[in-house]
Amino acid sequence: MLDTFEILTTSGVVLWSRTYVPVGASIINSLIREVFIEERIPPPSDAGQKPTYKKEGYTLKWTTAKDLGLIFVVRGCLAVYQSLVHLTWIDKLLDNVRALFAGIFEEQLKKGHTSVVDTDTFGPYFDRQVQELERANEATPNVKLTPPSSTENDSAEDNAPPVLQKPQRPLYDTSADSTPVPTPDTSRPTTPAHTHLVTAKGGPGPKGKLSRRDKKKVAALNSAPASSGDEGSARKKGKASAKKNRVWGEFGAEEEDPSVVLDYSQGDIQNSNPRTEALEEIKSETWGRKTAKGEFVLKDLDEEMDEIIAEQNAKRESLAYSKESKGLVGSSIGAIGGLFRNVVGGKTLTKEDLAKPLKGMEEHLLRKNVAREAAVRLCDSVERDLVGLKTGNFTTIESTIRTSMESALTKILTPTNSLDLLREISTINTSQSRPYVLSIVGVNGVGKSTNLSKIAFFLLQNHHRVLIAAADTFRSGAVEQLRVHVRNLKELSAREGGQVDIFEKGYGKDAANIAADAVKYAAANNFNVVLIDTAGRRHNDARLMSSLEKFGKLANPDKIFMVGEALVGSDSVAQARNFNASFGPGRGLDGFVISKCDTVGDMVGTLVSMVHATGIPVVFLGVGQQYGDLRGLNVRSVCMLLMS
Amino acid sequence: MAWYDEDSWLTAAFSPRLSTVAVALTLVLVLPVLLHLFIYRRATPTTLPSLLLLGPSGAGKTALLTLTERDAAAPTHTSTAPLAIEALLPPRLTPASAHYRSPGDPAYERARRFLLVDTPGHGKLRHFATAQLASPANVRGIVFMIDAASVADEAGLNEAAEYLHDVLLTLQKRYTGARTSKGPVEIPVLIAANKSDLFTALPPQLVQINLEKAITQVRKSKAQGLKDSGVALAADDDALDEEREWLGEGGDGPFEFRQMEEVGTSVKVRGGNVLGGDGPDVKDWFAWIAQQL
Ligand SMILES: Nc1nc2c(ncn2[C@@H]2O[C@H](COP(=O)(O)OP(=O)(O)OP(=O)(O)O)[C@@H](O)[C@H]2O)c(=O)[nH]1
Ligand SMILES: [Mg+2]
Repeated sequence: MLDTFEILTTSGVVLWSRTYVPVGASIINSLIREVFIEERIPPPSDAGQKPTYKKEGYTLKWTTAKDLGLIFVVRGCLAVYQSLVHLTWIDKLLDNVRALFAGIFEEQLKKGHTSVVDTDTFGPYFDRQVQELERANEATPNVKLTPPSSTENDSAEDNAPPVLQKPQRPLYDTSADSTPVPTPDTSRPTTPAHTHLVTAKGGPGPKGKLSRRDKKKVAALNSAPASSGDEGSARKKGKASAKKNRVWGEFGAEEEDPSVVLDYSQGDIQNSNPRTEALEEIKSETWGRKTAKGEFVLKDLDEEMDEIIAEQNAKRESLAYSKESKGLVGSSIGAIGGLFRNVVGGKTLTKEDLAKPLKGMEEHLLRKNVAREAAVRLCDSVERDLVGLKTGNFTTIESTIRTSMESALTKILTPTNSLDLLREISTINTSQSRPYVLSIVGVNGVGKSTNLSKIAFFLLQNHHRVLIAAADTFRSGAVEQLRVHVRNLKELSAREGGQVDIFEKGYGKDAANIAADAVKYAAANNFNVVLIDTAGRRHNDARLMSSLEKFGKLANPDKIFMVGEALVGSDSVAQARNFNASFGPGRGLDGFVISKCDTVGDMVGTLVSMVHATGIPVVFLGVGQQYGDLRGLNVRSVCMLLMS
Repeated sequence: MAWYDEDSWLTAAFSPRLSTVAVALTLVLVLPVLLHLFIYRRATPTTLPSLLLLGPSGAGKTALLTLTERDAAAPTHTSTAPLAIEALLPPRLTPASAHYRSPGDPAYERARRFLLVDTPGHGKLRHFATAQLASPANVRGIVFMIDAASVADEAGLNEAAEYLHDVLLTLQKRYTGARTSKGPVEIPVLIAANKSDLFTALPPQLVQINLEKAITQVRKSKAQGLKDSGVALAADDDALDEEREWLGEGGDGPFEFRQMEEVGTSVKVRGGNVLGGDGPDVKDWFAWIAQQL
C-alpha cells in the first residue's frame, strides 16, 4: 500500500520521510516538475478528493501547506489505490499529518535562513496516525484494504471487540512522555506493520525518541485543558473501559498492570522481551525523575495529536472565513489596524481580503484579451499562492497581488526548454542525415502561409536550403499564393546564398501523401529543411481535423507549429486544445506562432490563453507585413504589456 | 458643552496644562520607538555577504546547500522556491578579508559567516535567479553548479551553456552599463562541476572546454536567431532598435572564460561532489568561497 510518505519544502529539501518500499527520487521529481511547475495537470477543482498523479505504475497523492512552504506526498502502488474508500483514507492521512507536522514544527519552520528542521520526533506520531486510520477503515464494512492475513493470530484479533485491543494503549501512554514504542499490531501483515515490528524490536531507538523538551513544547502549544497532571489523570480515569487496566501510583504515575503485559505476550510473544526492557528503562529513568519533580504532564499521544489536529484545522478555518466580530470597539480597532497594515504591510492575507482585488485583476486580464478560463486559472493560482501569507513591509494587497500575478505570468509563458531552431536543424541534418521537417497548422485565414514564408526567410538568411511543400490541396488559390511567396523569397535570398523551391502537386490530392513525397524529394535533391503548409480548418470540423492524425504519421514532422491570431478572443483556448489533440496519442503541437501581434497593441492575452490551454510554448510572434517581421518571444515585455 | 467652552477637550488640548504636556511628551517619545520596533523587528537585520547558487535543475545546488548546514547532504527534490541560509565557512578555511586576524577574534568569526542563496534551476523558474542577479546587493560571488555527468551529452551541455551564457551576459551588461567610472563591484563566478563521483562525469578541464565551445555556439545562434519581441511590441518607440550585446570581446572568435575578466568577472572551473561513496569532496569550492569573503 504505502510506499513512501515524504514531507518536503518548496525549496526542495526533504524534511521527513518514511519509506516502506524504496524507489528512486525521480517520481516525486516528475510530480513536482509536471504538476507544480509546468502545471500540466489542472489543480484540484472538485471538493473533497485530493488530486492524484500517476506515473510508471505509481500513484501519488499530495497536499501542501502554503504558508509554511511544505509539500506532503504519499506514493503507493497503483493497484492498492483503486478502491475509492482507500483514496479518502489517504486523503485523511495527508490532512492529519499536515496538521500535526505544522502544529509541532511551526516555530522551527518559520525560522529564516536555515533549512534544518529537527524532525526526528515525528516518527511515532506518523505511525500512530497510520494505524488509527487503518483501524477506522477496517471498521467500514465491505472494504478490503489489506490482503487477507494468513496467521490465525490476526483473525482472532480482528474479530475481537475493540476493548480487547485497547489494553495496548497504556504502552503508548507511558512512552508518550519519553520513548514511544510503536505497538506491534500483528493484525496487519502489511508493509507498514512490518516496519512497526522492526522499530519495536529496536527498542527505544533514536527514531522513537521523543525528547521531553519537544514534548513540553507540544503541550504548551496546545492550550490544553488537561495540562496538569491531576486533571489529566482524573480525565483518564473517567475514560473508557480500556483505561481501567492502568493502575495509578501515589504520585499519579502509572504502573503497568500485569494484565497488560499478559495481553501483550498473548498477542505477540516473540516481541514481548524487548518491549519489557524498554518499559523498564522508561520507568527507571524518565518516570522516576519526573515523579520526583511532581509536575509531569501526562498525556496520551492520541489525545495530543487530536488536539494539534483540531487546533490546526480551526486555524485553517479561521483563515478561510473572516473572523467573528469582537464587539464594536474591538472590531473598529481591528478595522483601523487592518487599514494600517494594508498600507504598511504585515497583514496576513485571507480569502476575503483577496477576493475583491483578484476580481479586479481578473477583469484587467479579460480586458487584455485573456480568455476567461485562463484568467480564472491565473487568479486561482495567485490566490493559492497568497492565502495565509503576510504582506511585506510597506506593500499593499494590490501590489502583492501584482507581483504574484507577474510571476505567475512569467512562469506560464516561459518555456521549459528554449527552442533553438537553427541548432536543431543542424543536429538533425548531421546526426541523422535527413532533412528537417517543420509543419504548420491552424484555422482558416490566420496567416499560415505568410508565417511559413517568414520562417523560410529566416532560414534562408542562415543559408539553409529550404523546400516549401504546398499541402493545402483544399482552398483554391493556396498553391498560387505559395508560389508567389517562393518567387519573392528566391529574389530576396539570391544574394544571401540560400536556396528555396516549392513542391506542389495541384489540388484535390491527399495532403499527407504530398507531404511525405515532399520529404523524400527533399532528401533526394539536397534540401535540408522542408516546410509544409497545410489547409486551414475549423477546429470543430471533425472530418478535417481527423485527417491531421494521418498527416502527422506520414509526414512525421520534427516540429508542428500552430498559427493563431492575436486577435482571436475566447475561442483561442478551444482552438489550441483541439489542434493539440488532433494528432493522436503521443503526438501534439510543439509551439505556437502568434500572428498579427502588431495589430492588438497591449492586448496580447491570446498568448496566455493558448499556452494555458495546452502548456505548449509560444515560439514566434508575427509583428508585421514584411518577411523579416518575425520575432522570438520576450516573456518580460509581454508580461509588462499584460500588467500595464 | 461646545468645543469653545472652557473645559472642552479641545481647549484643554491647547492649554498649558500638565496633563496635556505629559500626553504630548509620551506621544512624542513613544511613537518613534513603536514605529521603529514595528518596522525593524521584521526587516532582516543581516547584511551578510551572500553567494548565489545558480545552475540547471538537478545539478545538486540544494544538495550542496544542505551539506553546508549539516554533516551530510539531505535528500532533495526539484526546488520550486529559492532558499537562503546562513552558512559558516568550514574550519581550517580563512576568509580572505580576515587573513591577518586570528581565530577567536570576533571579527574573524563574523567574517566566516555568509548567506548561501539557492535558486530553482527549472527553465520556468529562472526568474528567481534573474531577480537576484538584477539587484546583487552584497553578492560576493556566484556558484554556477552543473552536473559534470550530464554535460557529457549534447542536451545537458546545451542547457547548461545557455543558462551560463545568460548569466555571464547579465554580468557583462551590468559592468558595461555601469555609470560610475570605477565600475561596479566585481562578481566572480565559480563553475562547480558536481557529481565527480560518477564515472561518467567529465573532469573539470574537459567541462571547461566543452562549455566554452557550447557557449560559442549559443552566442552564434543568438546572433543569427530572430530578434525578440521586446522592441516590436513596445508600441511607442519603434525607431529605437535595441542594441544587442554579445558576450566576450564583441562576439567574435571562440569564446573563452578568460575573456570575462575584462568585464570584471573571473570564471573558474572546479570539480567536486556533494554525494558519493567516498564522502563529499567540496573543499575546492569552499576554498574559492573563502577567497571571496
Ligand atoms: N552522484 C551524485 N549525486 C548527486 C551529487 N550531488 C547531488 N546529487 C543528486 O542530484 C540530485 C539533484 O540534486 P538537487 O540538489 O536537488 O538539485 P538542484 O540543483 O537543487 O535542482 P533544482 O532544485 O531542480 O534546481 C539529487 O538526487 C542528489 O542526490 C553528487 O555529488 N553525486
Ligand atoms: Mg534545488
